[in-house]
Amino acid sequence: MSSSMTNRAYRLWDERRGKIQSNKGGWVIGKGVFNHGYSMMDDLVGKVSYMQVLILNATGRLPERPVADWFEAIYICMSWPDPRIWCNQIGALGGAMRASVVASTTAGVLAADAKTYGSKPLLQGVRFIQSALLDFKHGVSVDEIIRNECAKHRGKPKITGYARPLAKGDERVVAMERVQKLLALPAGEHLQLALQIESSLSRNFNESMNINGYGSAFLSDMGYTAEEIYRIFAIVVTSGVTACYVDTRDKAPDAFLPLRCTDVEYTGKSARPVP
Amino acid sequence: MTTEQRKVESRNDLFAERTATKIWQEIESPDNPYLADTCLCHGYDLLELTQKRSFVEVLFLLFRGELPDADEARLLEHLMISLINPGPRHPATRAAMNAGVGSTDREHILPIALSIYGGSHLGAGEVEPAMDWLRKQRKHDPLQLAHELITNGTPPEEGDWHIFPGFGSRFGGVDPMAAKIASHLTSLPGKHETLLWGCKFADVLNKHSLGWLSPAIAAAVFTDLGFSPRAGAGLFQLLGAPGLLAHGVELSNKPVTAMPFVKDENYVIKYD
Repeated sequence: MSSSMTNRAYRLWDERRGKIQSNKGGWVIGKGVFNHGYSMMDDLVGKVSYMQVLILNATGRLPERPVADWFEAIYICMSWPDPRIWCNQIGALGGAMRASVVASTTAGVLAADAKTYGSKPLLQGVRFIQSALLDFKHGVSVDEIIRNECAKHRGKPKITGYARPLAKGDERVVAMERVQKLLALPAGEHLQLALQIESSLSRNFNESMNINGYGSAFLSDMGYTAEEIYRIFAIVVTSGVTACYVDTRDKAPDAFLPLRCTDVEYTGKSARPVP
Repeated sequence: MTTEQRKVESRNDLFAERTATKIWQEIESPDNPYLADTCLCHGYDLLELTQKRSFVEVLFLLFRGELPDADEARLLEHLMISLINPGPRHPATRAAMNAGVGSTDREHILPIALSIYGGSHLGAGEVEPAMDWLRKQRKHDPLQLAHELITNGTPPEEGDWHIFPGFGSRFGGVDPMAAKIASHLTSLPGKHETLLWGCKFADVLNKHSLGWLSPAIAAAVFTDLGFSPRAGAGLFQLLGAPGLLAHGVELSNKPVTAMPFVKDENYVIKYD
């Protein structure tokens, strides 16, 4: 390979050596701190909510205050101080281990990057309702949409956003519908379809929409993509994890849900000599 | 639906009374049921293992449930040395260095670096899909498959192309260190069915400036050693951990000026 060809191969990296081109903003010493074209100290601090800035950083767009308030409410819904929930238990174990609050909280946040709960299932929830709406507009009925999804799971109503681990029903949907009404935010076509899907699931499987299904549909109506929603919800479980950390950090160390040796069941090979 | 219809009811799922493990047995002390008097790994006494077996052999035992033979132990040890340090330019190492030079509490350096090393580009996130893919594809002709992927694939508009997890270009070219490591590992005694298949596959890719990347080397060796793909990501992180930590610690007693801080003239803010 000639040197000119080689050079072409790594030109991209040469162009970026020692430089940063930010599409987001930054600190210009002596001039100010800039964020997506806003002067943070002049345009944002004291004028918009923290949640509005969080969404701005995650999406590049500053939402209206009511939308940010809706996000703040759903953040409250999706994190509560019960250490039986997996991510929260990690926070509690961190407290018991005397790990720092930052390490424990971020460990819990990382745990919620999971297929079954936390922020990641929103990716699938949004993709489902957006694809379902396209099908619906092409004449596929609600019952057919459900049947097609059930067919992927041997007839079981395993649809992300509908049904929920551990319990049937979801009190958070009720709370968020109330918030949505208070904030005068409309239900668009995704949410209307989600409600129809829920009605059918309720009739046929005694299952209802969960907070993922509601949030995915509502935010699709607001124009957010699945990836944007995942980014906005990156730290959604944080406050509950911190609460569970604090609960055990302020008690005796290594005393959270203690286990005797026999409290772990050994099912492996019997004792044997090392060859 | 009405609030009444959304009423929350427990599913009454049946949870295990105790967590079960086949890996480790702790035999309680006669005086205190919370203290272990003896620990056994897949049936072997831990202290006996320390006297008779190497770290690498016990690592293999943890994940496979049996001790390795000499060839398996050697292959794993050579892989571990080969991947002990992603190097000071790898983003995960740079994360460790940033933590170090920023005076981050030292116990955080490794978790920070490992989180970044979990990425799906040159990181642990490539290993499990690579293992799944290699297990499936190694029955097929690697030459034909490579031709098909190159013919049907679309390179990204900019940046490196990973034609499949663990295989692709690095900085626009074939990574010579990865190729050398793969070649060295195949020279060791023992069965390397997946690794050899990968070498043939990479040979075809080389003509298109693509080839082995370290996650696929790990994936091929893990597959040949019989590890589960589910363990692949974490094992890859474990193998790179010493280097990540060493670089972070090296900078952890130095001032923030010990690393470059991009000058204002080289920091350009350009909105989309």
